[in-house]
Amino acid sequence: MSDRKLPRLLQSPAVLLLLVWMLIPLGMTLYFSFIRYVLNSLRRPEWTSPSLSNWRGFGNYEFVLNSKDFLFAIQNSLFIVCSILFLTVILGVLIAVLINKSFPGQGIVRVLLISPFFVMPAVNAVLWINMILDPVLGLQGIAVANLNDLAAALRDAPVIGWFFALWPQLEPISFRATQTSAYAVIIMVTWQWTPFAVLIFMTSLQSEDQQQKEAAVLDGASSWSQFRFLTLPHLGRPIAIVVMIQAIFHLSLYAEIEIVSRGNGNKNLPYLIGEFANNNIGAASATGIFAVILANIVAIFLLRMVGKTLME
Amino acid sequence: MGRIVLKSVTKSFGDVEVIPPLDLTIEEGEFAVFVGPSGCGKSTLLRMIAGLEDLSSGSIEIDGQDATQVPPAKRGLAMVFQSYALYPHMSVRKNIGFPLRMAKMAPAKVTARVETAAKSLNLMDYLDRKPADLSGGQRQRVAIGRAIVREPAAFLFDEPLSNLDAALRVGMRLEIGELHERLQTTMIYVTHDQVEAMTMANKIVVLRAGVIEQVGSPLELYHRPRNTFVAGFIGSPKMNLISGTQAQKYDAATIGIRPEHIDVSMTEGSWEGYVGVAEHLGSDTFLHVHGSGVSEMITVRISGDISVNQGDTIYLTPQSDQLHRFDAQGTRIP
Ligand SMILES: Nc1ncnc2c1ncn2[C@@H]1O[C@H](COP(=O)(O)OP(=O)(O)O)[C@@H](O)[C@H]1O
Ligand SMILES: [Mg+2]
Repeated sequence: MSDRKLPRLLQSPAVLLLLVWMLIPLGMTLYFSFIRYVLNSLRRPEWTSPSLSNWRGFGNYEFVLNSKDFLFAIQNSLFIVCSILFLTVILGVLIAVLINKSFPGQGIVRVLLISPFFVMPAVNAVLWINMILDPVLGLQGIAVANLNDLAAALRDAPVIGWFFALWPQLEPISFRATQTSAYAVIIMVTWQWTPFAVLIFMTSLQSEDQQQKEAAVLDGASSWSQFRFLTLPHLGRPIAIVVMIQAIFHLSLYAEIEIVSRGNGNKNLPYLIGEFANNNIGAASATGIFAVILANIVAIFLLRMVGKTLME
Repeated sequence: MGRIVLKSVTKSFGDVEVIPPLDLTIEEGEFAVFVGPSGCGKSTLLRMIAGLEDLSSGSIEIDGQDATQVPPAKRGLAMVFQSYALYPHMSVRKNIGFPLRMAKMAPAKVTARVETAAKSLNLMDYLDRKPADLSGGQRQRVAIGRAIVREPAAFLFDEPLSNLDAALRVGMRLEIGELHERLQTTMIYVTHDQVEAMTMANKIVVLRAGVIEQVGSPLELYHRPRNTFVAGFIGSPKMNLISGTQAQKYDAATIGIRPEHIDVSMTEGSWEGYVGVAEHLGSDTFLHVHGSGVSEMITVRISGDISVNQGDTIYLTPQSDQLHRFDAQGTRIP
């Protein structure tokens, strides 16, 4: 046996297991996506069990493509993921740079900052939508009501009264509504995942070379220039990693969407799959295949980007 | 341009006083070397001059102006760090041009200056590389280039050669010496290596625990060390310091004699001993002589042609006009 065969042989069980792990679900999804397969049908009971005789070709795909929610779900998936990425990276960098300076109570602040990451997604969603964003009972509603009361009270005050008289009556925003439910999801997931970004950026900042900073100070670089020309390029790699990991996680958001509005006005591909899977497994599987394709496009795009930063 | 005066400068980190009050003047155009063992405060002193470290008390004057409160960038000093501190994401060109860009110089002028500096440092072929793709010596040159383009009042070097291998170090030593010849700008150079200090300096400042032990030219320090510390620190191999009855013969608590100032004979001399380790350098041989009763070990330098074997009995005679005498406090007796 040559030198190479033995290691290959020893690796093979793991590789096989991974292949089976991946290929069986993918194969079944592909299979279901080409047949008529529903959970309940009084009219056509033969469709309730998967069988090749129910072959539908690309019918399921056509059905999904023509369903009014599909394009919207893809757009919405990308909108939610990109917004979260954008916000978490910006907030993460800002907070990490801020708390990287030493100040009293640093330890506690850091622990508090990390803690949202340990809240379960469903709990996070329930807390945000009911206790913070609710237009009547949540913090938002209370804050808006109080602001309105305050403005009303000050309207009659001497000297400054005219200023408050200019204020309109503030309306609380209902985050369960069709137009706004995506924003609610973005807000709560950003809140939960910013700590992840902060954590990664902070470790990276701590490995930043202090002598480079000092050299830059001597070279006349302002704080902004130091950030722009040294810190930001230094964070390139961790930013790429945060973006990639989060993109993959957030493409499959589900709990938040379910809890905020049950998909009303705010669906993504996983949610659409869930809806189809209430009865129509064929359509759900076809949507799943679309989701796999979308995830791969995003992943290839991101891997290129990360690869480029890693090469530098 | 480039006269630097330190007036009763002190530095403490918390309760620890690293630099007790210290006065020092570095004249315009001088090549001053701060030398001393590790941890004696050389870097701290240099960083205070650069403005990277605040003074605990005292003041610093640069060209007659009080610079104590002046921010680092405004002092007109350029520093070369031990780790080179190049900006890893920028090309060599961008690295060298960075200080000019920060000074908002016109891009065409920046390019011209960068290329002049790169030419003088043999970096023209590497301008578009990143620091990671350069060798240690090239990185060092980029760091020097970044300092040169600013046309500073003085250059500060903090152990710039200690990350290089021995051969490269000798080469860079010469290059920095030539740079000083060419620019005639004040340079302050920090090192723990007395060979670097001896070879490069106009003025050596020997430091121990933040205290200046002696200031002088290399030969002054070699011929007239002010105390036993300087005597032992300057010169290689080290001066033999002998105390006890032998020293008393010369009315001193300690006498010092350099290995190159001892005459060796196989037949007669003042001190008798046997040869321990012999270090052959080719041109010279350093002998460690034991059992003389004078001192546990005496180092002697003899010509490389003389062959001696371990265990040989040998006679040593110090050249009396080259003998250094020190009192009980270790201070030189004139
Ligand atoms: N930022 C600091 N905080 C506390 N102690 C320091 C700091 N920087 C240097 N020291 C101490 O000051 C002394 C001198 O350090 P340094 O100037 O770096 O020595 P050298 O460069 O001569 O080797 C050392 O004992 C070191 O531990
Ligand atoms: Mg040092």
